[in-house]
Amino acid sequence: MINSSSSKQVGQDQQATSEPRSPRPKIKMVKSEESDKRILNKKLKDVEISIPIVYGNVSFWLGKKASEYQSHKWTVYVRGATNEDIGVVIKRVVFQLHSSFKNPTRVVESPPFELSEAGWGEFEIAITLYFHIDLCDKPLTLYHHLKLYPEDESGPMSSKKPVVAECFDEIAFPEPSEGFLVRVQNHPAVNVPRLPTGFTLPPPVPFEDANRKKRGDTKDHPLSQWFMNFSEADELLQLAAARQQVQAYLAKLRRQISMIDGQHQQLKTISDS
Amino acid sequence: MDAKDILGLPKNSITQEKKSRPQKDSQRKPDGISREVYALTGGFPPLIPAIEASQLKKRPPSDEKITWQWLPFTNSARKDNLHLYHWVRIVNGVPPTGDYSFAKYNKSVDIVKYTDEEYEKYLTDPMWTKEETDQLFELCQSFDLRFIVIADRFPSSRTVEELKDRYYSVARAMLAARAPSPGDISGHPLVKEPYNVSQETERKRALSMVLSQTKQQERKDAEVLAEAKRITESRMVARGAEESELPVPSNAGPESAERAAIPSDTVSPSANVQHPSAAVAPSTITVDNASILASLRMLRVYLRTYALDQMVQAASSSAGLRTIKRVEQTLQELGVNLKPRVPTKAVCAEHLELRREILTLLNLQKQEAEGSSYRDGSYGDTPGTPKHLSHGGDQDRIFVPDMNFAGERIGKRDQKRKAPGRLSEAPLPAHKRPRKLKAADL
Repeated sequence: MINSSSSKQVGQDQQATSEPRSPRPKIKMVKSEESDKRILNKKLKDVEISIPIVYGNVSFWLGKKASEYQSHKWTVYVRGATNEDIGVVIKRVVFQLHSSFKNPTRVVESPPFELSEAGWGEFEIAITLYFHIDLCDKPLTLYHHLKLYPEDESGPMSSKKPVVAECFDEIAFPEPSEGFLVRVQNHPAVNVPRLPTGFTLPPPVPFEDANRKKRGDTKDHPLSQWFMNFSEADELLQLAAARQQVQAYLAKLRRQISMIDGQHQQLKTISDS
Repeated sequence: MDAKDILGLPKNSITQEKKSRPQKDSQRKPDGISREVYALTGGFPPLIPAIEASQLKKRPPSDEKITWQWLPFTNSARKDNLHLYHWVRIVNGVPPTGDYSFAKYNKSVDIVKYTDEEYEKYLTDPMWTKEETDQLFELCQSFDLRFIVIADRFPSSRTVEELKDRYYSVARAMLAARAPSPGDISGHPLVKEPYNVSQETERKRALSMVLSQTKQQERKDAEVLAEAKRITESRMVARGAEESELPVPSNAGPESAERAAIPSDTVSPSANVQHPSAAVAPSTITVDNASILASLRMLRVYLRTYALDQMVQAASSSAGLRTIKRVEQTLQELGVNLKPRVPTKAVCAEHLELRREILTLLNLQKQEAEGSSYRDGSYGDTPGTPKHLSHGGDQDRIFVPDMNFAGERIGKRDQKRKAPGRLSEAPLPAHKRPRKLKAADL
């Protein structure tokens, strides 16, 4: 049923829309959403691609070499969650530092998108991601609070082990252009959902970016040993267990209510007679 | 101290007080200045001392000889050659030179001056007599173009705008007449931005209207603006949902911002999508999940955490603040992070479903508890007799005495006694039975 209505819509779209860039029009595709049961069958879902990223900072206490104004050496960065190269999606990143830094607006033109500085204070850094124009012309801003000091304030500060504060997030592009899809269909940094049957993409054309001469992935990054692990599976398991518990309680409660109701009905018939 | 006597506590506490007092005193007394002067600064040492305390006592430099003499002086700003006397600080026998120190502040505005011939030639005006114009200019000279004062002193009643208009047009005409060529004066502010009487009157009238607006009017205006904003927002949603081309909503942004005086920050194209408080999504009023998804699709790019926040807000918009807190408490009890640590699409979907299920559970519990509390209320008196039969409000059940007054409780949660939403404890029938029987026995 879904397929028949979708094919009608796809046909309409092919007539109605026109894309200046790629020769074929932007095609809307159907994708079933399991979590959303209230969606009507007629509504179309697009192919949404997502890029899992991790952003945050690593900070080393300078120990003996620390001065009053430069007590820590820190690096703030945006990386792919699996340490793959996100330069295929992100063109450049702008880090907006505290105004007490010289040239507080720092632009990083190529991956790895990171910035190292020395300082003493914690502040909020605005990280603005600019994507390739064929993907999205609007930038996206993340906010990260720079963490220099460890959670446990009373413990001794070590200059060997850094303080790490990372945050996981996914960038979602609800309606990517076909040209972009073609470019990244097999790239490890990008999650492309399964395309519906009957829809095929043309083979990818190799994309040359003049800036990217060095490698952009962070697999062998000097700081990679400190990167945190973000396991989706763990979280899913935790959530599934919680849901099971809640569902069990719900079922039990419903049973009890129906029992009481049943008893009420029983008594009613008894007292009425 | 008497209390300590009574209690029989040792008396050496008195000596302890005396010892601590002098310690506190010396701690608070600053050095270099007296205590009262120090107290003027607030009584506590400032974080960063602006003036060194020692500096306050240090002066004066010892190698100069300072004397003070009572000497006459004149003020070049005065025209009447008045001689007055004042104290003068003499350093090493040499009196200070120079004019009276305040004479330099005697500034005045250069008023345009015209001769009678010039008046006849350039400045005649049907609305103004020569007398009036002369009077105006005299006042302008003496009051330095303070038009409010001039309007006050002007013999015939003219508004401030009329006076200003007359003065500036005369000044402009004189400028044009005296200038060698029109090009020379084209840069002069009098020529570039001429005084516009009607605009000024209108502007001042509008300002006074705004100032004199009553609170009621202000509220009404705010309401109208909010309503208009909501209408444009809903129009944006409708338009965006229909169209297949995305650039249109963002292009319409700057236009709509200019079109209406309404601050439609919802459609600004450069808005950062990620921050939940930015409220870029057209409407946070609609609860429907489908509309949230539609609005998310309208954005070119968004963060998963932002999407989750929007959906959570939508899901809990029907619940009160207390219920939301209970949901969060339940999540914590289950060992689930309130904000998922790895927010992928799948994780967010599961999280949202979990929240929904907890909400359903809590609502069901609340319903059930309300029913049970009515039933409990009846057992407080005599068993078997139904009281408050009229309490039919929330429950569909008919209020019939339950057989349970002597038997077992079927896991009722006593909402009034315990904190709500406790999933970790199972209902204990045996626990509750003795209590209820006691109440029933009364």
